Amino acid sequence: MNLERVPNEEKLTLCRKYYLGGYAFLPFLWLVNVVWFFKEAFMKPVYTEQLQIKKYVKRSALGLLLWVTVLTTWITIFQRFRAEWGEVGDYLSFTIPLGIP
Amino acid sequence: SEPPQHGPEQNGQPPAARPPRVVETEEDEEEELTLKYGAKHVIMLFVPVTLCMVVVVATIKSVSFYTQNDGQRLIYTPFPEDTDTVGQRALNSILNATIMITVIIVMTLVLVLLYKYRCYKVIQGWLFLSSLLLLFFFSYIYLNEVLKTYNLAMDYFTLAIIIWNFGVVGMMCIHWKGPLRLQQAYLIMISALMALVFIKYLPEWTAWLILAVISVYDLLAVLCPKGPLRILVETAQERNEPIFPALIYSSTMVWIVNMADTEWPPKRNSTEAAPPQQESQEVVTFPTDDGGFSSTWVNQQQHQLGPLQSTEQTRREIQELPSARPPAEDDDEERGVKLGLGDFIFYSMLVGKASATASGDWNTTLACFVAILIGLCLTLLLLAIFKKALPALPISIFFGLVFYFATDNLVQPFMDQLALHQFYI
Repeated sequence: MNLERVPNEEKLTLCRKYYLGGYAFLPFLWLVNVVWFFKEAFMKPVYTEQLQIKKYVKRSALGLLLWVTVLTTWITIFQRFRAEWGEVGDYLSFTIPLGIP
Repeated sequence: SEPPQHGPEQNGQPPAARPPRVVETEEDEEEELTLKYGAKHVIMLFVPVTLCMVVVVATIKSVSFYTQNDGQRLIYTPFPEDTDTVGQRALNSILNATIMITVIIVMTLVLVLLYKYRCYKVIQGWLFLSSLLLLFFFSYIYLNEVLKTYNLAMDYFTLAIIIWNFGVVGMMCIHWKGPLRLQQAYLIMISALMALVFIKYLPEWTAWLILAVISVYDLLAVLCPKGPLRILVETAQERNEPIFPALIYSSTMVWIVNMADTEWPPKRNSTEAAPPQQESQEVVTFPTDDGGFSSTWVNQQQHQLGPLQSTEQTRREIQELPSARPPAEDDDEERGVKLGLGDFIFYSMLVGKASATASGDWNTTLACFVAILIGLCLTLLLLAIFKKALPALPISIFFGLVFYFATDNLVQPFMDQLALHQFYI
């Protein structure tokens, strides 16, 4: 979809929908929102809806950052302590690497 | 694939009334434009096709799951190939291919009927479900196998997040609105996934036979007057509707703003194939339809309605010329070349199979890759010349098959002998 030809109101609605959608455990959606609308929000000459788009992009970026920290922390903890957790670790694991750690 | 067309809006028909304008220079310019755009679009299609093939070959080489024979087969190919005699094997593979092609023909006919009787909801629902399946289930399996191969641990929580995100964003990009690059990336990924499924579950001889038969079918279905795909195109033209903007990879944005009263959200989808259940029994059941839908259905996607104007300049030209159909108000049709997803799938399947089973390893793989690209070039050239939708499978697959068997059986032993005797040429 080429943002060039989309009228500004539609851009706003799209940005907003992507932003709201991200609340459904979809940090990827926030990432897409940020990358896609970054130019629109920050590098284009001002137009009426731009302020709101900026708001949504900023919030998406914030949410994304939050998710990234949470996930990184969890993954680090999991990978480091998985073997030591014994049964619980196995239960949580989707794939269990073979061999001796 | 579809050509970018220059000239009054045609709908695939020959230009109706050309005003006796400055014909000479116009025609010359057009010739030049055609060829120039032809070349540019060829390159634009090379990249995604190459990417898809690279993904498939990389997976085949690294993840052994896709080359293992677990004894499971598709329900569409019930005859096993590990038989005692060569004759038996040949017979089995012919039967398998026949069943598969019959299924495909039936699916195409069903589709044409559905389209003719305006059961659009059914078709849309079908596509939706199949892309759902591909994006969630098959990617789950793929991730599982890749993690196993690289011996990494993954917990259910992270896995759920990953698959959920991948799937939902994929559905949004494909069926609703999303950035073009992301949509193209998703289409490539689902084509690769589908090709991998085919490579895993189709036994060798069956696979080659199916490739050959599908190309022939593609040729017939698209070019013969009574071919189902041709009927589909013509029906769509009569109704002045764009044919399903689904199952197509397009190199630029398809912007269908005019006349469609039914709103076609640009759907990109490939095929449906049911989850091969990991059971111990030999035959795998498919709850939904098969990939046959893809190939033909997809090939039919190559017939797009309407002119393809690829630049501002041509658009202006066209708007100045009177045309058979009044140009719509915001006729912002800006399309590149289109290639059906089924084409991606079968090209990748050919190259993937070649890399999986060839004795010549990389030689054969590369030869097939080059052959397919050459075929694609030729197809696009023909497209630019004939300016109507053409089947993209036959030429490429034919070249691919020829190169595969030739390289495997002639070139590779030759090179082995040369290496053996340390003889460099």
